[in-house]
Amino acid sequence: MGKIKKKGTSGQAKNYITRTQAVRKLQISLPDFRRLCIFKGIFPREPRSKKKASKTATPSTTFYYTRDIQYLLHEPLLRKFREQKTVAKKIARSLGRGEVGDAARLEKNHAPKLSLDHVIKERYPTFIDALRDLDDALSLLFLFANLPSTAHVPPKTIALCQRLCHEFQHYLITTNSLRKSFLSIKGIYYQATIQGQDIMWLVPYRFVQRVNGDVDYRIMATFVDFYTTLLGFVNYRLYSSIGIMYPPKFDTRSDENGAELAAFTLEGRKIGETPKAIEAGSGTKTNGAANKEVSREIQAKVDKVIKSAGLDQVKDGESTEKTTEENTEEIDRFEPTAPEADTLPQPDLSGNEAGSLFSPFIFYISREAPRAPLEFILRAFGCKAIGWDAVLGDGAFTHDETDPRITHQIVDRPQLPESSLPAIPTKPEDGAGAVQKVRPGTRIPGRTYVQPQWVWDCVNEGKLLRADLYAPGTTLPPHLSPWVKPSKGGYDPRASLAEQEEEGEAELAAELEDEEGDEDSDEEMEDAAETKKIQAAEEEDDDEEDDDDESLNGGMDVAGTDDDESGSEEEEEEEEEDFGGFEEEAASESEDEEEAARSQHQKELEAEAAGLPFSSTNGAAGGASKKKSSQAKKLAAKKRKEEEELDRQKMMMSRKKRKLLEKMIYSNKKTSDEAAKLRSKRRKIEKAAQA
Amino acid sequence: MGASKKRKAVTRDVEEEAGVFSGDELNANDLDGALSDNANDLSDSEDDGSDSEIDLVDEFSDEDEDDEELDSDEVPSDDEDLVKKTKTTATKAVVLDRTSEDQDENSSDDEMPNFRIEKDANGNDRYVYDEINPDDNSDYSEVDENANTIGDIPLSFYDQYPHIGYSINGKKIMRPAKGEALDALLDSIEIPKGWTGLTDPSTGKPLELSQDELELLKKIQLNEIPQEGYNPYEPTVEWFTSKQEVMPLSAAPEPKRRFVPSKHEAKRVMKIVKAIREGRILPYKPPTEDQEADQYVAKYDLWADEAERPDHPMHVPAPKLPPPGYEESYHPPPEYLPDKKERKEWEETDPEDREKDFLANDFGSLRKVPGYETFVKEKFERCLDLYLAPRVRRSKLNIDPESLLPKLPSPEELKPFPTTCATVFRGHKGRVRSLSVDPSGVWLATGGDDGTVRVWELLTGRQLWSVKVSDEEAVNVVRWRPGKEAVVLAAASGDDIFLAVPPIVDPETEKASLELLDAGWGYAAPNPALSAADANKTTTPPQWIRPSSTLTEAGVCAVIPLKYVVKSISWHRRGDYFVTVCPGSSTPASVAISIHTVSKHLTQFPFRRRIKGGGPPQTAHFHPSKPILFVANQRTIRAYDLSRQLLVKILQPGARWISSFDIHPTSSTASGGDNVIIGSYDRRLLWHDVDLSARPYKTLRYHKKAIRAVKFHPGGRYPLFADASDDGSLQIFHGSVTGDMLSNASIVPLKVLKGHKITGELGVLDLDWHPREAWCVSAGADGTCRLWM
Repeated sequence: MGKIKKKGTSGQAKNYITRTQAVRKLQISLPDFRRLCIFKGIFPREPRSKKKASKTATPSTTFYYTRDIQYLLHEPLLRKFREQKTVAKKIARSLGRGEVGDAARLEKNHAPKLSLDHVIKERYPTFIDALRDLDDALSLLFLFANLPSTAHVPPKTIALCQRLCHEFQHYLITTNSLRKSFLSIKGIYYQATIQGQDIMWLVPYRFVQRVNGDVDYRIMATFVDFYTTLLGFVNYRLYSSIGIMYPPKFDTRSDENGAELAAFTLEGRKIGETPKAIEAGSGTKTNGAANKEVSREIQAKVDKVIKSAGLDQVKDGESTEKTTEENTEEIDRFEPTAPEADTLPQPDLSGNEAGSLFSPFIFYISREAPRAPLEFILRAFGCKAIGWDAVLGDGAFTHDETDPRITHQIVDRPQLPESSLPAIPTKPEDGAGAVQKVRPGTRIPGRTYVQPQWVWDCVNEGKLLRADLYAPGTTLPPHLSPWVKPSKGGYDPRASLAEQEEEGEAELAAELEDEEGDEDSDEEMEDAAETKKIQAAEEEDDDEEDDDDESLNGGMDVAGTDDDESGSEEEEEEEEEDFGGFEEEAASESEDEEEAARSQHQKELEAEAAGLPFSSTNGAAGGASKKKSSQAKKLAAKKRKEEEELDRQKMMMSRKKRKLLEKMIYSNKKTSDEAAKLRSKRRKIEKAAQA
Repeated sequence: MGASKKRKAVTRDVEEEAGVFSGDELNANDLDGALSDNANDLSDSEDDGSDSEIDLVDEFSDEDEDDEELDSDEVPSDDEDLVKKTKTTATKAVVLDRTSEDQDENSSDDEMPNFRIEKDANGNDRYVYDEINPDDNSDYSEVDENANTIGDIPLSFYDQYPHIGYSINGKKIMRPAKGEALDALLDSIEIPKGWTGLTDPSTGKPLELSQDELELLKKIQLNEIPQEGYNPYEPTVEWFTSKQEVMPLSAAPEPKRRFVPSKHEAKRVMKIVKAIREGRILPYKPPTEDQEADQYVAKYDLWADEAERPDHPMHVPAPKLPPPGYEESYHPPPEYLPDKKERKEWEETDPEDREKDFLANDFGSLRKVPGYETFVKEKFERCLDLYLAPRVRRSKLNIDPESLLPKLPSPEELKPFPTTCATVFRGHKGRVRSLSVDPSGVWLATGGDDGTVRVWELLTGRQLWSVKVSDEEAVNVVRWRPGKEAVVLAAASGDDIFLAVPPIVDPETEKASLELLDAGWGYAAPNPALSAADANKTTTPPQWIRPSSTLTEAGVCAVIPLKYVVKSISWHRRGDYFVTVCPGSSTPASVAISIHTVSKHLTQFPFRRRIKGGGPPQTAHFHPSKPILFVANQRTIRAYDLSRQLLVKILQPGARWISSFDIHPTSSTASGGDNVIIGSYDRRLLWHDVDLSARPYKTLRYHKKAIRAVKFHPGGRYPLFADASDDGSLQIFHGSVTGDMLSNASIVPLKVLKGHKITGELGVLDLDWHPREAWCVSAGADGTCRLWM
């Protein structure tokens, strides 16, 4: 017989250590321990058996892995913490004595500086590891870059975060490695692929963040300390991997003028090479006033771009096709020819494709559109020249809205009738340098006006979408998350309702509605109708106002612009016809009709399959209810049969497997219920739309 | 107390023994030699030791002889050493002094005689001199008056006297009182202070040290100055004090160096100044803004020498946040927007319990999207999660639940199987004991308790033919002969087996059938001889006989009288043989199983003895392709190779009483005979894989009452089998067998067919399958037969 082992000397009892024990062992204070844990990435563990691991009966104890704590014992940061503590004591003492100058000197010169380099190397032994863990870092740093400076968040930190984020964005722009983006309620999600790693982060919209009392900024600041160091090294590595000098040149003055991304100038690292200046860098030179002084070089470039853009506009589809055909190294896209065939997954679009998406165009961002995300995303997808209103800050390709080279203008304002807009007093042209003011609401011919969502949808689809669906003032198509994969039993808003409905669901639903009376739906429909009415009324009001204005004005200045516009509109129309992509104005209507016809056909087919004369489905109401009830019965019978079948199968399983099965069935049922709910909602909405 | 006592005792002793010479007795007890030595020593140590005896005598004799004495001394006769001589001279001087003193005294007390005249013992005058009292300045103060003067004489000479010698005054020195043994012991125990354990040889007393002597010794021991009165801790005398005196001792003025800057320091400062001037040292400058900002810029590639670290199982990377769904869009599809109820529900639930931390909202266009209120809080919570939340690896169940279900054939695949009762055959009075569907699938033969055998048209239920083979006995079993070229029906009623050709078929087939049965009559001739030969030893095989005329007219061609009740008939697949079993317990074992050859009208009894283990035989079947006969008794099924006459296999289904069994026919996927189903009276249906084990592969107990009959679908077209039970129901199963040895048969319960009424505890007595369709026919105890399709 072996020696009797003493309790608590091996196994879980030894492998885990409570937090209090850990703090005592390290001989530091709890906040310091917290910081150390954050820096070193040490987190509590859940022992397999809490009872075995803990020596006390306290139920809620935090356990750490003993080895982790042992490694911490040799941490150089511990010494720094102690030094900090001593300095803090000295400062406190001198403050107590009223020697403020002394305290300031101590704080400035003697506070030990933490260096986290070794920690980063330790936590991320390879660069890929660091990239893998960049999600949280980017999200937090982008948040801090957008925070207002307070007592907790010093402006230095904010500036550092901004710089690092912009540097990272510049890398994404030069390598075209941004893949997807999504406008959510919370902010804007971006996804980039760097060296095969998918990195996703969230950037808040530019508003002053509301801060509740229960947020501890010290903890966040600790994270930010760590993440800034990490992102700094990551940026260095990324920049050096593409041969760009790090840190990039930073123009403080243009940054103060709100240039943001354009405040940085990237330079090639090698001396022999000509500095590879990015367009944005040159863009910094162009100020609103000195717009005409665009260097000849850029002018030539831009001209070329416009030429190509013009060509592309003429035969957009063809050119894109050509490019895809030219790339023989690319993976060919396989499309299943028959509907029942399996589809094999294929990799997403590569950097080249991403880089060429917006490359032929020149964008102009209107005053009301969010410049920073648009600029970033457009440039990341190949757009070389972006202009914006002077209000939005420095660094634009042009601040002149009337610049004829602009092909697309991003507008995010409701379409108002002209007359309701304030007229701009026509000023005599002061000089060549003056920016020609454009009356808000007017359209300059020769360019496409889109809402910002168009950019995002194009990016996510990987191709240019029809711009007319995103024209200013129109109701936008729903903006969908690019990351949701259609799953079995889940609801897919892209697919039509008929495609994903379960067998007989629609009929059942219709029947239910009939039977229960249309109280709920009526209400909702009424609500909808009311809101619609209100909207319509408002619009009418607007119209009236416009009319009034027109009638009131009826004057010269309007006429002049009208003339212009009419001419331009004609041109536009012609162009559009040439363009060929947007000819189906009434596409939506025709589509609807088609849809209706198809659904009708589907119904007929189903009726046929059920062995009913299909006229009856359309036919008399008296017969219909009867039929429906019989159908319901059939469905019920079928369901019962299926259940029986399942029971029969379950009978043959072991108990363990059966439990597992039930668990899975439960979770699947949850998703399918969710999907069913969404489908029923959609059905109602569609019905309301039809009515 | 003790110590004081001791001291007291000691003092008393000393007082007491003032005149006692205890030391002597020690010496007395010693050896003579030693004693003599001692005496010698004593004499040596004494001033006027051994040789002074004579001197004394001389002295006593005459003062005037002093010179003489000196002379004699000067010329020493014997070899005395120098020390002695000097001593003697010293003594001489003393003596001289004394004499001079004496002379002085004599001179002073000239007239006063210094003696008294006394009478001695003889009456003569005796001059008794006064004791001389020496002065303080006398050198003789040291002289011990009590010293023994016996000289170099061993003390032993005085042993017989009470004294041990004489003092210098001629007084007897009394022997010290001899201490008793007890006293000696007491002395040894109570060691007085100053006791040394030595004896003073001169006094014979124990040598004791005085208090002063002891203290002296102690000081020497402690390495102190032994001198009395020396104080090692004398108070210090401060000659120069730290106190500033009013009148200082030194009147020297402050030196100049106290007021002049140090040249040495100036030198060192100049050194630094020079270094700064030359630029060797840079003075401290607070870092500028740029530098401070610069320190946050990475200046080197951290991963220049990256090396991958093997993944540790305890390393759990933080889980990434899930990507946003459709409902998080700023402009989601309208179906994702919550309706009033959902919104209310969301608002009412506690923020921690909410499934989603936001409500879907449609803003229509980007400019209307407000800032997300809880953005900072959300990120903060993520931070908290990152460092506070324990991370646990959980294997996520991402399996399709369907895959867990056993791979069953789909219901479509299982079809067709009989589901509904299509036809009811009525006509029998009493129970229908047995039925059989003919190989072409057109007719149904039944036999019942009323002793009739009937043939029906299967699809319509019309009775075509009926013959009453027995008046009192029930027809126990009817079986069609397999094969389509001839139509022969075998029926067993009571002890007899009837072979009939029902007149229902077309004439050609009927003729062929009749010929088949009639062909055997020729062989009947040698039979009697054989039987005669065998008559005496075994039971004679029965003779096939022609039936009665009424029966002949009805179509019965041959009768085999077996003498025992036949309960089971089973045809060989070729239709030439059939095996019958008489399960009655009274039947002799040798005749219980018989094999009949139709072409020869021959009956054989292949078994001589009873089959072991489990009562009389119940049924028997031929193997569908091999010459193997399966015989079932009550508990086991045995397979015998008929050509080699060997027992091939024993199946032990574990049932108490086997009612019937069936062998899997040859199908497209599997060879026949590998699987056997067994029904038993103890409600079990057992599936045996013959090659797999002797035990059943599956035991099914779906019936409430005894199972009467089991049957595979013949021909192997449909993998179906059915059983008939006394609970009035039939159960249809799907049992597909693959040729693959590794995969087991899959058995799927399909259908319970109910319709037969239970009469007299009996339900369904027999069943049979249609040879081509998935139809089955059942014979009920209620007198009906039913066709299920």
